[in-house]
Amino acid sequence: MSAPEPQVTLTVDGKEVTVPAGTLIIRAAEQVGVEVPRFCDHPLLEPVGACRQCYVEVEGQRKLFTSCTTAVADGMVVKTQNTSDVVHEAQVANLEFLLLNHPLDCPICDRGGECPLQDQALAFGPGESRYREAKRVYAKPLPLSPLVNLDRERCVLCARCTRFCDQVSGDRFIELFARGAAQQVAIAPGEDFRSPFSGNTVQICPVGALTSTPYRFAARPFDLSTVDTVCPHCSAGCNIKLDMRRGEVVRHLARDNYDVNDAWLCDKGRYAFRFPDAPDRIAMPLIRDHGLEPASFGEVVTRVAGWTEGARVAILTGGRLMDEDYYALSKLARTVFRTNDLDHRRTGDPGAADSERHAASDPMAVTYGDVEGASVVLVVGLDAEQEVPILHLRLRKAARRGARIWVLHPRRTRLHDVATHVLCRPGDEGRLLAGGADGVLDEALTALREAGPGAVVLAGERHGAADAAKRVADATGARFQYVTRRANDRGALLAGVHPALLPGGRGLDEVDDVERVWGPLMNREPGRDTMGILRACAAREVDVLFLVGVDPLRDVPDAALVRRALDNVPVKVVQSLELGSLEPFADAFLPASAFLEKDGHVSTWEGRGQRLRAIRGRDGISLADWEIFASMALACGGDLGFETLDAIHEEMGRLLGARSERGVAVEPPGEAGNAAEEPSGSVQGLAPQPDWERERGAEGATAEVGRSPGSIGDSRDAGDGGGGDDLVLFTYPLLVDEGRLSEGADELKAALGDEAFVELHPSDAGSLGLADGARATVRTDAGLAELPVRVTEHVAAGAAFVPFNQPDLAANTLFSGAMVTRARIEPVEEAVEGSGEPAVAAAGGES
Amino acid sequence: MSGTRRVLTAHWDDPGVIRLAGYESAGGYRALRTALGMTSDELIQIVKDSGLRGRGGAGFPTGMKWSFVPRDTGKPTYVTVNFDESEPGTCNNRELVEREPHALLEGTAIAAMAIGCHLAFIYIRGEYLWQGQILQRAIDEAYAAGYLGRGVLGGDYDLDIVLHRGAGAYICGEETALLSSLEGFRGQPRLRPPFPAVEGLYDSPTVINNVETLMNVPHIVNNGADWFKEVGTEKAPGTKMFTISGKVERPGNYELPMGTPMRVLLEEYAGGVLGGRAIKAWTPGGSSTPFLTDEHLDVGLDFEAIMEAGSLLGTGAIMVLDETDCMVEAARRLVEFYAHESCGKCTPCREGTWWASRVLGRIEGGYGREDDLPVMADMGRNILFRAFCALADGAVSPIQSTLTHFMDEYEAHIREGRCPATGRGPGAAGQTEPADVTFATTGPFEIQGAPS
Amino acid sequence: MAIFEGERLDEARSIIARYPEGRQRSAVMPLLYLAQSEEGWVTRDALREIGELIGVRTAEVEAVATFYTMLRARPTGTHLIAVCTNLSCALRGANDVLLAAHEATGIAPGEDLSDDGVFSVHEEECLGVCEFAPVVQVDVANHDRVTPERMREIVASLRAGDVPEPARGPAVESFRAASRILAGLEPLADEVATT
Repeated sequence: MSAPEPQVTLTVDGKEVTVPAGTLIIRAAEQVGVEVPRFCDHPLLEPVGACRQCYVEVEGQRKLFTSCTTAVADGMVVKTQNTSDVVHEAQVANLEFLLLNHPLDCPICDRGGECPLQDQALAFGPGESRYREAKRVYAKPLPLSPLVNLDRERCVLCARCTRFCDQVSGDRFIELFARGAAQQVAIAPGEDFRSPFSGNTVQICPVGALTSTPYRFAARPFDLSTVDTVCPHCSAGCNIKLDMRRGEVVRHLARDNYDVNDAWLCDKGRYAFRFPDAPDRIAMPLIRDHGLEPASFGEVVTRVAGWTEGARVAILTGGRLMDEDYYALSKLARTVFRTNDLDHRRTGDPGAADSERHAASDPMAVTYGDVEGASVVLVVGLDAEQEVPILHLRLRKAARRGARIWVLHPRRTRLHDVATHVLCRPGDEGRLLAGGADGVLDEALTALREAGPGAVVLAGERHGAADAAKRVADATGARFQYVTRRANDRGALLAGVHPALLPGGRGLDEVDDVERVWGPLMNREPGRDTMGILRACAAREVDVLFLVGVDPLRDVPDAALVRRALDNVPVKVVQSLELGSLEPFADAFLPASAFLEKDGHVSTWEGRGQRLRAIRGRDGISLADWEIFASMALACGGDLGFETLDAIHEEMGRLLGARSERGVAVEPPGEAGNAAEEPSGSVQGLAPQPDWERERGAEGATAEVGRSPGSIGDSRDAGDGGGGDDLVLFTYPLLVDEGRLSEGADELKAALGDEAFVELHPSDAGSLGLADGARATVRTDAGLAELPVRVTEHVAAGAAFVPFNQPDLAANTLFSGAMVTRARIEPVEEAVEGSGEPAVAAAGGES
Repeated sequence: MSGTRRVLTAHWDDPGVIRLAGYESAGGYRALRTALGMTSDELIQIVKDSGLRGRGGAGFPTGMKWSFVPRDTGKPTYVTVNFDESEPGTCNNRELVEREPHALLEGTAIAAMAIGCHLAFIYIRGEYLWQGQILQRAIDEAYAAGYLGRGVLGGDYDLDIVLHRGAGAYICGEETALLSSLEGFRGQPRLRPPFPAVEGLYDSPTVINNVETLMNVPHIVNNGADWFKEVGTEKAPGTKMFTISGKVERPGNYELPMGTPMRVLLEEYAGGVLGGRAIKAWTPGGSSTPFLTDEHLDVGLDFEAIMEAGSLLGTGAIMVLDETDCMVEAARRLVEFYAHESCGKCTPCREGTWWASRVLGRIEGGYGREDDLPVMADMGRNILFRAFCALADGAVSPIQSTLTHFMDEYEAHIREGRCPATGRGPGAAGQTEPADVTFATTGPFEIQGAPS
Repeated sequence: MAIFEGERLDEARSIIARYPEGRQRSAVMPLLYLAQSEEGWVTRDALREIGELIGVRTAEVEAVATFYTMLRARPTGTHLIAVCTNLSCALRGANDVLLAAHEATGIAPGEDLSDDGVFSVHEEECLGVCEFAPVVQVDVANHDRVTPERMREIVASLRAGDVPEPARGPAVESFRAASRILAGLEPLADEVATT
């Protein structure tokens, strides 16, 4: 795209290095293996030159230079502390300044043992201080939030944390206050550091000034065993380091991967790490005779196989298995149960059919790098900060580099300071993207056309938005990506865990490739999606329902239907980490291994396959999901044809390997356990497991879509004289909620969690007679909830938002099969008779 | 090249020049009319030819500074006047504006024309409350008379001038800190490059000039470059405002040709040392410049000669200390100033000035130790040229120059626990406890108890 | 009650309008002065409201407010007495003037607000009037060659409700009045004598 950058050649400690013009000396030195000590420097933050530790000598210059702020020049001769006494002495002197007021509390400091300041003091600091005056004393620690604590005495004022908040997250809760020796990191009194990226400041702090509550006094670095893996929470696919102490996870840290997460991690990825050790984990197979009783794997599988014989089988799963699991499941359904009634989605969306097929067939159509380098980005139906937080950071980075960004969404997102938002009622996206509403998007569409392939269109899961966005991309030449939210929704799509798609996005009318590998497919009729399956269950049209790593009671936006379905389907087979709310329904339970315990791949929202490896032994007698599917197939008289990951990979490679233009989601045959690195940004580590499914499951109903925003005329108590017309009520999960994977993350929830609320535009609130903070009843044809009102211009007029899964509201009781419906919202009458009092919807999940 | 004359202070005897009418009748705004008829290149050239150098301390050639401003970036260009006069001992800008505010506006307007600027800012230190009002009144008068605003003097050149008040921060006299402050941020200096001429205010090309510098410009336009060079030295032509304060009979602001010997200023203008006492030390250019002594009275006050003598011309602010003054106290007070004014951004300045001020306070208070002196010397070396900006170097000046010229006085303090010049010992000057160092802080931290 | 409403809001908008479009952040210091002129010091409410006016977080405003000494982020007396003790003034006896200010106002050294809330005393860095050392500013108006006796007289007269005539420029009634001038909202009255 751009001309090659001019290169310059210099020497560092006598070693010659050639780098692009403009490179900082400190970076050039790293390239020849010379590490100049530093505190304030961070490769992803703009240089500041504050700590002054990284002095180097440049031949011919009188003064020393800070290598973190000085660009290289051709022929430059640089001497670092390794070859220059002057530099060494200057660094020792600067360290003396830094240590003047530093407390001698390393033994009780969380940073002890992995502290750059401690390391340098040990390496070349003076043994004894010449400082005889009193030290600065601050109250410590100062909680900035329930997650992050500040110890100002330890702070070296490098401004990494404040620069991160300014330049990366944009959440400027913390700043440098005062000046001189009194300068300090601080937060406005009364405020909390309420940024979902706050933990990054802890990680990049070069001393123990910022520490996290969950890790406070938890361990010493020499106590920890550290493994590399991938964050299990969302489709961002952040590379992480996972620290365990005696087998228990105590910390997640971001691991640098500039192709994926740069060096960042959101607070959920960082602090929601206790779920693999949840107390209700069940690691043995169970079968219901009188009650649920332990049995052998073989016995349970055989019994289940018997139930499926000649039966009408349907399968629901979620978005958190591994690629290999999904592939095996897709094959099991099609070749053994001969059914296309399988789905992984929470909300199937006919308005996303093309987008899904595109995602399943074209991995890496848009990458993080493409977003970063884009000149124009249109984001449709995606609240990136809440849904794929690291993608949000990359969008901010793009903006910082000059990209023009538009967001079409019913709520204003945290891109608001760098992007133009067009707020629209859910369902209006298509009309607006087609140029409707007086062309409010004309400027964006023109920009997309002008930028062509330098433009990117990202579409999220809001109902009906994705394909409309894809049409815009197709028409303007922009690159398109459908951004799914959960950790491996993308892998499920790729494998064809979908009623209408086979592996690689093939339709049921293009079976040739698949039949070459799988043999003849007997059923070529599109199956039912999640909502269709549940309705069929409710109508007694399904005999056996498999629930694999999903809790529909919690995850599907039609709680009543799910309950009817579970009541009416004769046989329920649960495969997961635990039974949870499905315990009263399960006829058989198959224990699955957790992501810490198995090998495989997960795919980012881009379609980038990343390798994970088992990092601890399997719990109890659990098995990887794909292994259970393979034995199920055998028990049913079929054969999936693989017994090892290698064998799966080989087969997946034949169906999936060659289809990508720009990358390969899953590599063809690799070596078993230590299969090589994936294309780009791969990792060794491990993978997600069914259990997390519980966070939210699948849904999606073709017909339901039309139905829910339809009528509410049948709503109960239509007689209250409430104010005004129905609003379009929509929902999606917020980053921090009651999801299964956030179990035990109490500090995270305290810092960033929210009680349930309903959000209204001032014009609607006004006509409804509702003020900010008032309580309102929200009534849909599915249910009723009483919620506090937030009046804000950040939501589209005519729309109302409720978060999907808060501690005090499982919003799936309000919806009828889609994440959008119509609702009547009215003030709560103060003195209502007991009988008329609205029942607050049941709290989410039993866990 | 010699002689003397009053240029900037020529009308100081006429109180009327504070208002527009008086300024006009004294020939004011004639240069602005002339400049309107000149091209930008001609304006830059005449200032270059005059050899005018910045009066704010660094002495950078003004015409060259203007010529660095790119004109084809598609961004606006800005002139920003540095009226944050805060260097201890310095107050000539204040009096220049107090007496003849329109001269600053005229100089600013000509600078703006030279770089194609249509919006100029004057950054005045907050403490100059009344001076700001005077300047604002002059701006209002100039707008009303058509010297500013849309279509200056009926032509097609537009110029707005906005007065912006600082709020008490010495560091904002550093030009990049000034820009940060003007943009609404903490007044902390920024990295250079990019230099303000290329990316300054609002990321746009910006010229930052000192008040006295700009006030010279109308005279150069009126009288020509050669006229300007008639006085002063070859490398530093023109007159210079000198402020002399401290122990002299007639402290004040005096306009003298560059290169005038210190002895002339002290004896002929300032009336000699107060009470006829002997001079002990003096700063040639404010608190940031190393002290000189009675040995240096015949040095000419210009950039080069002063540098040769081991100090800097700085702002031309001469503070005079006599034989009864304590050099440790002087050094302590000045270093305390730098500690108080350190912006906190970089380590050597933030920590070094704090440490040095406390050690000096301890010595002054009679609690010095033998090994304090080598530590002080190390501190000076470890701060000098190591900090982000020049503020910390200013703190090194009093440390190093007093150690150089007055080591015996330090040693006497430490040996006898009292000052040989003033006789003050423990308990004097508020020093009651070893740790009880008066050190103004702006923030909420407590000072721990006494050190061992 | 909001600080910036009605006339104050109009003034705040006029301050913001001094700066180019999109550069409203430049108005943060004059806005802080304006808030200080209303409240006597920079209160939390002021920080929050100014943040809202210019579209930045409260912490960003506080970061600025705590950087500058003339923005007082703590309760401040009706009258602020600033005594320069930098070298030129110290050489001319400023330390005694500072002590006199403390004694006369009853503010203990190290403290800066009198119990009755009438006075704050602040040890100043150079005020830029070195030729008239020692220099004191009362509500940012200058008093030249102040002796300890003169300092006591100034305090007594302020206590009696009389604003002492400054060395140059018009009298300033209070620290709040000074803050309003600093916000650029008080033009110099024409009839005021100069120099």
